[in-house]
Amino acid sequence: MNARIERNGVVSNALAQIGACALFGLTLLGAVPGSMRHFRETLRQVWFVGAMSLTIIMTCGLFVGMVLALQLYDVLSIFGGTSATGTVVAIAIYRELGPVVTALLFAGRAGTSITAEIGLMRATDQIDAMEMMAVDPLAYVAAPRFLAGIVAVPLLTVMFCTMGVLGGHLVGVSWLGIDNGTFWSNMTATVDVWKDIIDGVIIKSFVFGIVVTLIAVFQGYTTPPTSEGVAYATTRTVVASSIAILALDFVLTAFLV
Amino acid sequence: MTQRRSYAVGTGLFIVLGFAALAYLATQTTSVANTGQGASYTVDAQFANVGQLKPRAPVKVAGVRIGQVKSIELTPGHEEATVKLAIDDKYKGIPDDSVATIFTSGLLGDQYVGLSFGSSKKALDDGGHIALTKPAQQLEDMLGRFFGGGSAPDRIGGTYHVTGHFTNVGSLTPGATVKLAGVPIGSVGKVVLTNDKLDAVVTLDIDKRYDQIPDDSAAAVFTSGLIGSQYVAIQPGGSPDMLKDGDQVVLTQSALQLEDLIGKFLVNGSPSDNKNNAGNGQPSQSNPQQSNPPAPGKK
Repeated sequence: MNARIERNGVVSNALAQIGACALFGLTLLGAVPGSMRHFRETLRQVWFVGAMSLTIIMTCGLFVGMVLALQLYDVLSIFGGTSATGTVVAIAIYRELGPVVTALLFAGRAGTSITAEIGLMRATDQIDAMEMMAVDPLAYVAAPRFLAGIVAVPLLTVMFCTMGVLGGHLVGVSWLGIDNGTFWSNMTATVDVWKDIIDGVIIKSFVFGIVVTLIAVFQGYTTPPTSEGVAYATTRTVVASSIAILALDFVLTAFLV
Repeated sequence: MTQRRSYAVGTGLFIVLGFAALAYLATQTTSVANTGQGASYTVDAQFANVGQLKPRAPVKVAGVRIGQVKSIELTPGHEEATVKLAIDDKYKGIPDDSVATIFTSGLLGDQYVGLSFGSSKKALDDGGHIALTKPAQQLEDMLGRFFGGGSAPDRIGGTYHVTGHFTNVGSLTPGATVKLAGVPIGSVGKVVLTNDKLDAVVTLDIDKRYDQIPDDSAAAVFTSGLIGSQYVAIQPGGSPDMLKDGDQVVLTQSALQLEDLIGKFLVNGSPSDNKNNAGNGQPSQSNPQQSNPPAPGKK
Protein backbone atom coordinates (compact mmCIF):
# COMPACT_ATOMS: atom_id res chain seq x y z
CA MET A 1 0.00 0.00 0.00
CA ASN A 2 2.76 2.28 1.00
CA ALA A 3 4.78 1.42 -2.05
CA ARG A 4 1.80 2.14 -4.27
CA ILE A 5 1.33 5.60 -2.83
CA GLU A 6 5.02 6.14 -3.28
CA ARG A 7 4.85 5.13 -6.92
CA ASN A 8 1.89 7.38 -7.57
CA GLY A 9 3.91 10.11 -5.96
CA VAL A 10 6.79 9.49 -8.33
CA VAL A 11 4.56 9.46 -11.39
CA SER A 12 2.64 12.58 -10.44
CA ASN A 13 5.92 14.24 -9.50
CA ALA A 14 7.35 13.50 -12.92
CA LEU A 15 4.18 14.76 -14.61
CA ALA A 16 4.28 17.89 -12.48
CA GLN A 17 7.91 18.44 -13.46
CA ILE A 18 7.12 18.05 -17.16
CA GLY A 19 4.16 20.40 -16.90
CA ALA A 20 6.07 22.99 -14.89
CA CYS A 21 8.98 22.76 -17.33
CA ALA A 22 6.69 23.34 -20.32
CA LEU A 23 5.01 26.33 -18.65
CA PHE A 24 8.43 27.70 -17.74
CA GLY A 25 9.43 27.30 -21.37
CA LEU A 26 6.48 29.46 -22.47
CA THR A 27 7.34 32.13 -19.90
CA LEU A 28 10.93 31.99 -21.08
CA LEU A 29 9.86 32.55 -24.69
CA GLY A 30 8.04 35.65 -23.48
CA ALA A 31 11.30 36.88 -21.97
CA VAL A 32 13.33 36.32 -25.15
CA PRO A 33 12.54 39.71 -26.75
CA GLY A 34 13.57 41.43 -23.50
CA SER A 35 16.88 39.58 -23.54
CA MET A 36 17.84 41.20 -26.84
CA ARG A 37 18.99 44.18 -24.78
CA HIS A 38 21.52 41.84 -23.21
CA PHE A 39 22.95 40.63 -26.51
CA ARG A 40 26.51 40.73 -25.14
CA GLU A 41 25.47 38.35 -22.41
CA THR A 42 23.98 35.95 -24.98
CA LEU A 43 27.22 36.08 -26.95
CA ARG A 44 29.23 35.35 -23.80
CA GLN A 45 27.01 32.34 -23.15
CA VAL A 46 27.46 31.04 -26.71
CA TRP A 47 31.18 31.27 -26.03
CA PHE A 48 30.86 29.46 -22.73
CA VAL A 49 28.42 26.64 -23.61
CA GLY A 50 29.38 26.35 -27.28
CA ALA A 51 32.95 27.23 -28.08
CA MET A 52 34.28 25.91 -24.76
CA SER A 53 32.56 22.56 -25.43
CA LEU A 54 34.30 22.14 -28.78
CA THR A 55 37.23 20.20 -27.34
CA ILE A 56 35.15 17.44 -25.78
CA ILE A 57 32.72 17.29 -28.71
CA MET A 58 35.43 17.06 -31.36
CA THR A 59 37.49 14.51 -29.43
CA CYS A 60 34.48 12.32 -28.81
CA GLY A 61 33.34 12.66 -32.43
CA LEU A 62 36.73 11.56 -33.66
CA PHE A 63 36.76 8.49 -31.45
CA VAL A 64 33.16 7.55 -32.24
CA GLY A 65 33.92 7.68 -35.97
CA MET A 66 37.13 5.69 -35.50
CA VAL A 67 35.53 2.92 -33.45
CA LEU A 68 32.55 2.72 -35.81
CA ALA A 69 34.85 2.24 -38.79
CA LEU A 70 36.81 -0.43 -36.93
CA GLN A 71 33.71 -2.38 -35.90
CA LEU A 72 32.00 -2.08 -39.28
CA TYR A 73 35.11 -3.12 -41.16
CA ASP A 74 35.29 -6.24 -39.03
CA VAL A 75 31.62 -7.15 -39.60
CA LEU A 76 31.41 -6.11 -43.25
CA SER A 77 34.50 -8.12 -44.15
CA ILE A 78 32.38 -11.23 -43.48
CA PHE A 79 30.23 -10.26 -46.46
CA GLY A 80 33.05 -8.81 -48.52
CA GLY A 81 31.41 -5.43 -48.22
CA THR A 82 34.15 -3.39 -46.59
CA SER A 83 33.81 -0.72 -49.26
CA ALA A 84 30.49 0.22 -47.61
CA THR A 85 32.27 1.15 -44.37
CA GLY A 86 32.35 4.87 -45.15
CA THR A 87 28.68 4.91 -46.12
CA VAL A 88 27.53 3.20 -42.95
CA VAL A 89 29.77 5.32 -40.72
CA ALA A 90 28.38 8.50 -42.28
CA ILE A 91 24.74 7.42 -42.10
CA ALA A 92 25.02 6.12 -38.53
CA ILE A 93 26.68 9.33 -37.38
CA TYR A 94 24.42 11.72 -39.27
CA ARG A 95 21.14 10.09 -38.36
CA GLU A 96 21.71 8.93 -34.81
CA LEU A 97 25.06 9.16 -33.10
CA GLY A 98 25.90 12.75 -34.01
CA PRO A 99 22.78 14.45 -32.64
CA VAL A 100 22.26 12.07 -29.71
CA VAL A 101 25.82 11.82 -28.40
CA THR A 102 26.39 15.54 -28.86
CA ALA A 103 23.22 16.35 -26.92
CA LEU A 104 24.17 13.91 -24.14
CA LEU A 105 27.67 15.37 -23.91
CA PHE A 106 26.24 18.86 -24.00
CA ALA A 107 23.89 18.03 -21.12
CA GLY A 108 26.85 16.80 -19.11
CA ARG A 109 29.29 19.52 -20.06
CA ALA A 110 27.14 22.66 -20.36
CA GLY A 111 23.69 21.75 -19.01
CA THR A 112 25.03 20.99 -15.55
CA SER A 113 27.03 24.20 -15.37
CA ILE A 114 24.00 26.24 -16.44
CA THR A 115 21.90 24.58 -13.72
CA ALA A 116 24.57 25.00 -11.07
CA GLU A 117 25.21 28.64 -11.96
CA ILE A 118 21.55 29.68 -12.00
CA GLY A 119 20.85 27.48 -8.98
CA LEU A 120 23.61 29.17 -7.00
CA MET A 121 22.27 32.58 -8.00
CA ARG A 122 18.91 31.45 -6.67
CA ALA A 123 20.42 30.03 -3.46
CA THR A 124 22.41 33.19 -2.75
CA ASP A 125 19.37 35.44 -3.44
CA GLN A 126 21.00 37.12 -6.44
CA ILE A 127 17.89 36.47 -8.53
CA ASP A 128 15.64 38.02 -5.88
CA ALA A 129 18.01 40.98 -5.75
CA MET A 130 17.66 41.46 -9.51
CA GLU A 131 13.89 41.51 -9.16
CA MET A 132 14.28 44.13 -6.43
CA MET A 133 16.30 46.26 -8.82
CA ALA A 134 13.64 45.84 -11.53
CA VAL A 135 15.97 43.74 -13.70
CA ASP A 136 14.00 40.83 -15.15
CA PRO A 137 16.10 37.77 -14.22
CA LEU A 138 14.38 35.72 -16.91
CA ALA A 139 15.54 38.17 -19.56
CA TYR A 140 18.99 38.74 -18.06
CA VAL A 141 19.92 35.28 -16.74
CA ALA A 142 17.69 32.58 -18.20
CA ALA A 143 16.92 33.66 -21.77
CA PRO A 144 20.53 34.34 -22.88
CA ARG A 145 21.58 30.84 -21.76
CA PHE A 146 18.54 29.33 -23.45
CA LEU A 147 19.28 31.10 -26.74
CA ALA A 148 22.96 30.23 -26.49
CA GLY A 149 22.10 26.55 -26.09
CA ILE A 150 19.81 26.58 -29.12
CA VAL A 151 22.56 28.18 -31.22
CA ALA A 152 25.36 26.02 -29.86
CA VAL A 153 23.95 22.47 -30.00
CA PRO A 154 23.33 22.28 -33.78
CA LEU A 155 26.77 23.78 -34.46
CA LEU A 156 28.42 21.37 -32.05
CA THR A 157 26.54 18.47 -33.65
CA VAL A 158 27.83 19.45 -37.07
CA MET A 159 31.37 19.58 -35.70
CA PHE A 160 30.86 16.17 -34.09
CA CYS A 161 29.67 14.70 -37.39
CA THR A 162 32.59 16.18 -39.31
CA MET A 163 35.10 14.80 -36.86
CA GLY A 164 33.27 11.44 -36.87
CA VAL A 165 33.51 11.11 -40.65
CA LEU A 166 37.15 12.18 -40.60
CA GLY A 167 37.79 9.65 -37.82
CA GLY A 168 36.14 6.96 -39.89
CA HIS A 169 38.32 7.98 -42.82
CA LEU A 170 41.42 7.89 -40.63
CA VAL A 171 40.79 4.32 -39.52
CA GLY A 172 39.19 3.03 -42.70
CA VAL A 173 41.56 4.48 -45.27
CA SER A 174 44.80 5.19 -43.46
CA TRP A 175 44.84 2.18 -41.22
CA LEU A 176 42.67 -0.60 -42.67
CA GLY A 177 43.47 0.21 -46.27
CA ILE A 178 40.05 0.87 -47.84
CA ASP A 179 40.60 2.73 -51.09
CA ASN A 180 40.30 6.47 -50.60
CA GLY A 181 38.19 7.02 -53.70
CA THR A 182 35.88 4.10 -52.87
CA PHE A 183 35.39 5.43 -49.37
CA TRP A 184 34.20 8.85 -50.54
CA SER A 185 32.36 7.84 -53.71
CA ASN A 186 30.31 5.16 -51.92
CA MET A 187 29.50 7.72 -49.25
CA THR A 188 28.44 10.42 -51.68
CA ALA A 189 26.44 7.90 -53.70
CA THR A 190 24.26 6.90 -50.76
CA VAL A 191 24.15 9.75 -48.23
CA ASP A 192 21.30 12.13 -49.00
CA VAL A 193 21.44 15.79 -48.09
CA TRP A 194 17.77 16.02 -47.08
CA LYS A 195 17.21 12.69 -45.39
CA ASP A 196 20.54 12.52 -43.60
CA ILE A 197 21.86 16.03 -43.10
CA ILE A 198 18.69 18.12 -42.79
CA ASP A 199 16.38 15.56 -41.16
CA GLY A 200 19.10 13.83 -39.20
CA VAL A 201 21.67 16.37 -38.14
CA ILE A 202 19.86 19.69 -38.26
CA ILE A 203 16.28 19.01 -37.12
CA LYS A 204 17.25 16.55 -34.40
CA SER A 205 20.05 18.66 -32.97
CA PHE A 206 17.83 21.75 -33.02
CA VAL A 207 15.11 19.98 -31.02
CA PHE A 208 17.70 18.49 -28.64
CA GLY A 209 19.26 21.92 -28.14
CA ILE A 210 15.91 23.42 -27.15
CA VAL A 211 15.04 20.56 -24.81
CA VAL A 212 18.40 20.17 -23.08
CA THR A 213 18.89 23.88 -22.46
CA LEU A 214 15.30 24.35 -21.34
CA ILE A 215 15.65 21.55 -18.80
CA ALA A 216 18.96 22.94 -17.54
CA VAL A 217 17.66 26.49 -17.14
CA PHE A 218 14.39 25.28 -15.61
CA GLN A 219 16.12 23.08 -13.04
CA GLY A 220 18.46 25.87 -12.03
CA TYR A 221 15.78 28.51 -11.90
CA THR A 222 13.35 26.47 -9.76
CA THR A 223 15.90 24.81 -7.48
CA PRO A 224 15.26 24.85 -3.72
CA PRO A 225 17.61 27.59 -2.44
CA THR A 226 19.90 25.27 -0.51
CA SER A 227 23.22 23.67 -1.36
CA GLU A 228 21.49 20.28 -1.31
CA GLY A 229 18.80 21.62 -3.63
CA VAL A 230 21.40 22.78 -6.15
CA ALA A 231 23.05 19.35 -6.04
CA TYR A 232 19.72 17.62 -6.73
CA ALA A 233 18.86 20.06 -9.49
CA THR A 234 22.18 19.38 -11.24
CA THR A 235 21.61 15.64 -11.04
CA ARG A 236 18.07 16.01 -12.31
CA THR A 237 19.32 18.03 -15.27
CA VAL A 238 21.48 15.16 -16.47
CA VAL A 239 18.87 12.47 -15.79
CA ALA A 240 15.94 14.34 -17.31
CA SER A 241 17.99 15.53 -20.30
CA SER A 242 19.24 12.03 -21.08
CA ILE A 243 15.77 10.51 -20.91
CA ALA A 244 14.27 13.35 -22.93
CA ILE A 245 16.99 13.11 -25.61
CA LEU A 246 16.65 9.38 -26.12
CA ALA A 247 12.84 9.36 -25.98
CA LEU A 248 12.58 12.32 -28.36
CA ASP A 249 15.14 10.70 -30.63
CA PHE A 250 12.82 7.76 -31.05
CA VAL A 251 9.78 9.94 -31.66
CA LEU A 252 11.62 12.17 -34.14
CA THR A 253 13.04 9.19 -35.99
CA ALA A 254 9.57 7.65 -36.23
CA PHE A 255 8.32 10.86 -37.86
CA LEU A 256 11.33 11.60 -40.02
CA VAL A 257 12.09 8.17 -41.46
CA MET B 1 37.32 45.10 -22.51
CA THR B 2 39.93 42.73 -23.91
CA GLN B 3 38.09 40.00 -22.05
CA ARG B 4 34.83 40.83 -23.85
CA ARG B 5 36.57 41.11 -27.18
CA SER B 6 38.06 37.65 -26.90
CA TYR B 7 34.58 36.29 -26.20
CA ALA B 8 33.27 37.95 -29.31
CA VAL B 9 36.11 36.73 -31.52
CA GLY B 10 35.98 33.21 -30.10
CA THR B 11 32.21 33.00 -30.43
CA GLY B 12 32.33 34.31 -33.97
CA LEU B 13 35.02 31.79 -34.82
CA PHE B 14 32.92 28.99 -33.29
CA ILE B 15 29.84 29.95 -35.32
CA VAL B 16 31.78 30.35 -38.57
CA LEU B 17 33.53 27.03 -37.98
CA GLY B 18 30.17 25.35 -37.32
CA PHE B 19 28.63 26.62 -40.53
CA ALA B 20 31.76 25.76 -42.51
CA ALA B 21 31.54 22.20 -41.18
CA LEU B 22 27.86 22.07 -42.13
CA ALA B 23 28.64 23.24 -45.66
CA TYR B 24 31.37 20.62 -45.87
CA LEU B 25 29.09 17.80 -44.72
CA ALA B 26 26.25 18.83 -46.98
CA THR B 27 28.26 19.29 -50.14
CA GLN B 28 31.16 16.87 -49.86
CA THR B 29 29.76 13.79 -48.13
CA THR B 30 26.27 13.57 -49.64
CA SER B 31 24.82 12.91 -53.06
CA VAL B 32 24.94 16.66 -53.66
CA ALA B 33 28.58 16.07 -54.53
CA ASN B 34 27.44 13.92 -57.45
CA THR B 35 24.49 15.88 -58.69
CA GLY B 36 24.94 18.36 -61.41
CA GLN B 37 22.84 21.19 -60.03
CA GLY B 38 22.08 22.57 -63.47
CA ALA B 39 19.02 22.11 -65.62
CA SER B 40 18.28 18.78 -67.21
CA TYR B 41 16.21 17.40 -70.07
CA THR B 42 14.08 14.27 -69.98
CA VAL B 43 14.07 11.34 -72.35
CA ASP B 44 12.21 8.08 -71.90
CA ALA B 45 12.95 4.46 -72.69
CA GLN B 46 10.94 1.23 -72.49
CA PHE B 47 12.55 -1.75 -70.82
CA ALA B 48 11.27 -5.30 -70.75
CA ASN B 49 12.63 -5.62 -67.22
CA VAL B 50 14.11 -2.98 -64.93
CA GLY B 51 15.26 -5.42 -62.24
CA GLN B 52 16.17 -3.52 -59.08
CA LEU B 53 16.60 -0.15 -60.81
CA LYS B 54 15.37 2.66 -58.58
CA PRO B 55 14.50 6.32 -59.13
CA ARG B 56 17.57 8.58 -58.77
CA ALA B 57 19.88 5.81 -59.95
CA PRO B 58 22.67 7.24 -62.08
CA VAL B 59 22.66 7.40 -65.88
CA LYS B 60 26.15 6.87 -67.24
CA VAL B 61 27.96 7.13 -70.54
CA ALA B 62 31.38 5.51 -70.64
CA GLY B 63 31.17 5.25 -66.86
CA VAL B 64 30.68 9.00 -66.42
CA ARG B 65 27.53 10.13 -64.66
CA ILE B 66 25.44 12.33 -66.95
CA GLY B 67 22.08 12.30 -65.18
CA GLN B 68 19.68 10.22 -63.14
CA VAL B 69 16.54 8.09 -63.38
CA LYS B 70 13.49 10.28 -62.83
CA SER B 71 10.67 7.75 -62.63
CA ILE B 72 9.84 4.11 -63.34
CA GLU B 73 6.30 3.08 -64.24
CA LEU B 74 4.55 0.14 -65.76
CA THR B 75 2.52 1.28 -68.75
CA PRO B 76 -0.89 -0.40 -68.33
CA GLY B 77 -1.60 -2.64 -71.25
CA HIS B 78 2.07 -3.15 -72.03
CA GLU B 79 4.41 -5.62 -70.40
CA GLU B 80 7.07 -2.98 -70.32
CA ALA B 81 8.47 -0.51 -67.83
CA THR B 82 8.71 3.13 -68.92
CA VAL B 83 11.81 4.72 -67.45
CA LYS B 84 12.23 8.50 -67.62
CA LEU B 85 15.84 9.69 -67.60
CA ALA B 86 16.80 13.22 -66.57
CA ILE B 87 20.05 14.08 -68.34
CA ASP B 88 22.08 17.17 -67.47
CA ASP B 89 21.78 19.96 -70.02
CA LYS B 90 25.51 20.16 -70.55
CA TYR B 91 25.42 16.68 -72.07
CA LYS B 92 23.51 17.55 -75.23
CA GLY B 93 24.15 15.78 -78.47
CA ILE B 94 23.45 12.17 -77.52
CA PRO B 95 22.58 10.36 -80.79
CA ASP B 96 18.92 9.32 -80.95
CA ASP B 97 19.81 5.74 -81.86
CA SER B 98 21.80 5.20 -78.67
CA VAL B 99 21.25 2.00 -76.73
CA ALA B 100 20.14 2.11 -73.07
CA THR B 101 21.16 -0.88 -70.97
CA ILE B 102 20.55 -1.62 -67.30
CA PHE B 103 23.83 -2.58 -65.63
CA THR B 104 24.75 -3.61 -62.12
CA SER B 105 27.73 -2.09 -60.31
CA GLY B 106 29.65 -5.13 -59.22
CA LEU B 107 27.97 -8.32 -58.09
CA LEU B 108 25.89 -6.86 -55.28
CA GLY B 109 25.88 -3.22 -56.26
CA ASP B 110 23.07 -0.91 -57.28
CA GLN B 111 21.79 -0.87 -60.79
CA TYR B 112 22.22 2.02 -63.20
CA VAL B 113 21.37 2.89 -66.78
CA GLY B 114 24.27 2.88 -69.22
CA LEU B 115 23.99 4.58 -72.58
CA SER B 116 26.14 3.56 -75.51
CA PHE B 117 26.16 5.97 -78.41
CA GLY B 118 24.74 5.17 -81.82
CA SER B 119 25.85 6.68 -85.07
CA SER B 120 22.86 8.88 -85.87
CA LYS B 121 23.45 12.54 -86.68
CA LYS B 122 20.26 13.54 -84.87
CA ALA B 123 20.55 14.23 -81.12
CA LEU B 124 18.05 13.37 -78.38
CA ASP B 125 15.95 16.33 -77.27
CA ASP B 126 13.70 16.98 -74.29
CA GLY B 127 10.86 14.44 -74.45
CA GLY B 128 12.89 12.25 -76.76
CA HIS B 129 12.62 8.51 -76.88
CA ILE B 130 15.33 5.88 -76.74
CA ALA B 131 14.08 3.02 -78.90
CA LEU B 132 16.87 0.52 -78.34
CA THR B 133 17.09 -0.93 -74.85
CA LYS B 134 18.46 -3.98 -73.13
CA PRO B 135 16.69 -5.13 -69.95
CA ALA B 136 18.29 -5.91 -66.62
CA GLN B 137 19.85 -9.36 -66.50
CA GLN B 138 18.19 -11.75 -64.09
CA LEU B 139 20.73 -13.72 -62.15
CA GLU B 140 18.49 -16.80 -62.37
CA ASP B 141 18.25 -16.52 -66.16
CA MET B 142 22.01 -16.24 -66.48
CA LEU B 143 22.71 -19.09 -64.09
CA GLY B 144 19.98 -21.16 -65.75
CA ARG B 145 21.39 -20.56 -69.22
CA PHE B 146 24.89 -21.24 -67.95
CA PHE B 147 24.02 -24.50 -66.26
CA GLY B 148 21.62 -25.58 -68.98
CA GLY B 149 18.03 -26.65 -68.73
CA GLY B 150 17.56 -24.85 -65.48
CA SER B 151 15.47 -22.07 -66.91
CA ALA B 152 12.94 -24.23 -68.78
CA PRO B 153 9.42 -24.11 -67.33
CA ASP B 154 9.18 -27.30 -65.36
CA ARG B 155 5.52 -27.63 -64.54
CA ILE B 156 2.06 -26.99 -65.84
CA GLY B 157 -0.58 -26.05 -63.33
CA GLY B 158 -1.64 -22.93 -61.77
CA THR B 159 -4.63 -19.72 -61.24
CA TYR B 160 -6.20 -14.67 -60.99
CA HIS B 161 -6.28 -14.41 -57.57
CA VAL B 162 -4.18 -16.71 -59.74
CA THR B 163 -2.66 -19.87 -58.40
CA GLY B 164 0.45 -21.61 -59.63
CA HIS B 165 1.91 -25.00 -58.83
CA PHE B 166 5.61 -25.06 -58.10
CA THR B 167 7.73 -28.08 -57.35
CA ASN B 168 9.90 -25.87 -55.17
CA VAL B 169 9.18 -22.35 -53.91
CA GLY B 170 12.52 -21.98 -52.15
CA SER B 171 12.12 -19.48 -49.31
CA LEU B 172 9.14 -17.72 -50.91
CA THR B 173 6.77 -16.50 -48.20
CA PRO B 174 3.24 -15.03 -48.24
CA GLY B 175 3.47 -11.29 -48.83
CA ALA B 176 6.38 -11.56 -51.26
CA THR B 177 6.18 -9.33 -54.30
CA VAL B 178 4.80 -10.35 -57.69
CA LYS B 179 6.62 -8.48 -60.45
CA LEU B 180 6.13 -8.01 -64.15
CA ALA B 181 9.00 -6.50 -66.10
CA GLY B 182 10.55 -5.71 -62.72
CA VAL B 183 7.58 -3.58 -61.59
CA PRO B 184 5.58 -4.81 -58.57
CA ILE B 185 2.03 -5.71 -59.64
CA GLY B 186 0.81 -7.73 -56.65
CA SER B 187 1.78 -10.02 -53.83
CA VAL B 188 1.84 -13.67 -52.89
CA GLY B 189 -1.29 -14.60 -50.95
CA LYS B 190 -0.84 -18.14 -49.73
CA VAL B 191 1.80 -20.82 -50.06
CA VAL B 192 0.35 -24.25 -49.26
CA LEU B 193 1.30 -27.83 -49.97
CA THR B 194 -1.08 -30.05 -51.95
CA ASN B 195 -1.50 -33.44 -50.31
CA ASP B 196 -1.98 -35.48 -53.46
CA LYS B 197 0.87 -34.25 -55.65
CA LEU B 198 3.24 -33.00 -52.96
CA ASP B 199 3.91 -29.71 -54.71
CA ALA B 200 3.42 -26.13 -53.54
CA VAL B 201 0.35 -24.12 -54.57
CA VAL B 202 1.05 -20.39 -54.56
CA THR B 203 -1.85 -17.93 -54.69
CA LEU B 204 -0.94 -14.67 -56.44
CA ASP B 205 -3.04 -11.59 -55.62
CA ILE B 206 -2.52 -9.38 -58.65
CA ASP B 207 -3.58 -5.76 -58.74
CA LYS B 208 -6.83 -5.20 -60.70
CA ARG B 209 -5.12 -2.47 -62.74
CA TYR B 210 -2.95 -5.03 -64.38
CA ASP B 211 -5.65 -7.08 -66.10
CA GLN B 212 -3.89 -7.28 -69.45
CA ILE B 213 -1.68 -10.26 -68.65
CA PRO B 214 -1.94 -12.99 -71.31
CA ASP B 215 -3.23 -16.32 -70.00
CA ASP B 216 -0.19 -18.17 -71.29
CA SER B 217 2.19 -16.10 -69.13
CA ALA B 218 4.76 -17.89 -67.02
CA ALA B 219 5.35 -17.43 -63.28
CA ALA B 220 8.84 -17.91 -61.89
CA VAL B 221 10.32 -17.67 -58.41
CA PHE B 222 13.30 -15.32 -58.59
CA THR B 223 15.72 -13.93 -56.05
CA SER B 224 16.52 -10.20 -55.80
CA GLY B 225 20.24 -10.19 -56.29
CA LEU B 226 22.47 -12.91 -54.91
CA ILE B 227 21.29 -12.83 -51.30
CA GLY B 228 18.03 -10.88 -51.58
CA SER B 229 14.49 -11.99 -50.80
CA GLN B 230 12.54 -14.10 -53.26
CA TYR B 231 9.68 -12.88 -55.42
CA VAL B 232 7.44 -14.19 -58.20
CA ALA B 233 8.15 -12.84 -61.66
CA ILE B 234 5.47 -12.99 -64.36
CA GLN B 235 6.84 -13.43 -67.86
CA PRO B 236 4.10 -12.43 -70.30
CA GLY B 237 3.12 -14.75 -73.12
CA GLY B 238 1.56 -13.96 -76.47
CA SER B 239 -2.01 -15.18 -76.09
CA PRO B 240 -4.83 -12.75 -76.97
CA ASP B 241 -6.86 -13.95 -73.95
CA MET B 242 -6.10 -12.35 -70.59
CA LEU B 243 -5.85 -13.88 -67.12
CA LYS B 244 -9.04 -13.50 -65.07
CA ASP B 245 -9.86 -14.02 -61.40
CA GLY B 246 -9.62 -17.73 -60.56
CA ASP B 247 -7.53 -18.57 -63.59
CA GLN B 248 -4.42 -20.70 -63.51
CA VAL B 249 -0.98 -19.64 -64.50
CA VAL B 250 -0.06 -22.34 -66.93
CA LEU B 251 3.70 -22.25 -66.93
CA THR B 252 5.67 -22.05 -63.72
CA GLN B 253 9.33 -22.16 -62.95
CA SER B 254 10.48 -23.19 -59.52
CA ALA B 255 13.06 -21.46 -57.37
CA LEU B 256 16.58 -22.33 -58.38
CA GLN B 257 18.56 -23.70 -55.52
CA LEU B 258 21.95 -22.06 -55.52
CA GLU B 259 23.35 -25.10 -53.73
CA ASP B 260 22.06 -27.43 -56.46
CA LEU B 261 23.57 -25.27 -59.16
CA ILE B 262 26.92 -25.03 -57.47
CA GLY B 263 26.84 -28.73 -56.70
CA LYS B 264 26.06 -29.51 -60.34
CA PHE B 265 28.82 -27.21 -61.48
CA LEU B 266 31.36 -28.78 -59.19
CA VAL B 267 30.38 -32.29 -60.21
CA ASN B 268 30.35 -31.57 -63.92
CA GLY B 269 33.50 -29.54 -63.78
CA SER B 270 35.60 -32.07 -61.89
CA PRO B 271 36.52 -35.61 -62.85
CA SER B 272 33.82 -37.16 -60.73
CA ASP B 273 33.24 -40.89 -60.37
CA ASN B 274 29.51 -40.30 -60.70
CA LYS B 275 29.05 -41.05 -64.39
CA ASN B 276 25.38 -40.06 -64.37
CA ASN B 277 26.32 -36.44 -64.08
CA ALA B 278 28.39 -36.21 -67.22
CA GLY B 279 26.90 -34.57 -70.26
CA ASN B 280 23.37 -33.28 -70.13
CA GLY B 281 23.52 -31.53 -66.81
CA GLN B 282 20.52 -33.39 -65.40
CA PRO B 283 20.49 -33.27 -61.66
CA SER B 284 21.22 -36.39 -59.72
CA GLN B 285 19.69 -36.58 -56.29
CA SER B 286 22.39 -38.91 -55.03
CA ASN B 287 24.60 -35.94 -54.89
CA PRO B 288 28.20 -35.96 -54.13
CA GLN B 289 29.55 -35.54 -50.70
CA GLN B 290 32.95 -35.97 -52.23
CA SER B 291 32.73 -32.84 -54.29
CA ASN B 292 33.23 -30.83 -51.13
CA PRO B 293 31.46 -27.55 -51.75
CA PRO B 294 33.40 -24.85 -49.96
CA ALA B 295 31.75 -24.56 -46.58
CA PRO B 296 31.28 -21.08 -45.22
CA GLY B 297 33.53 -21.45 -42.26
CA LYS B 298 35.36 -19.28 -39.85
CA LYS B 299 38.66 -17.83 -40.77
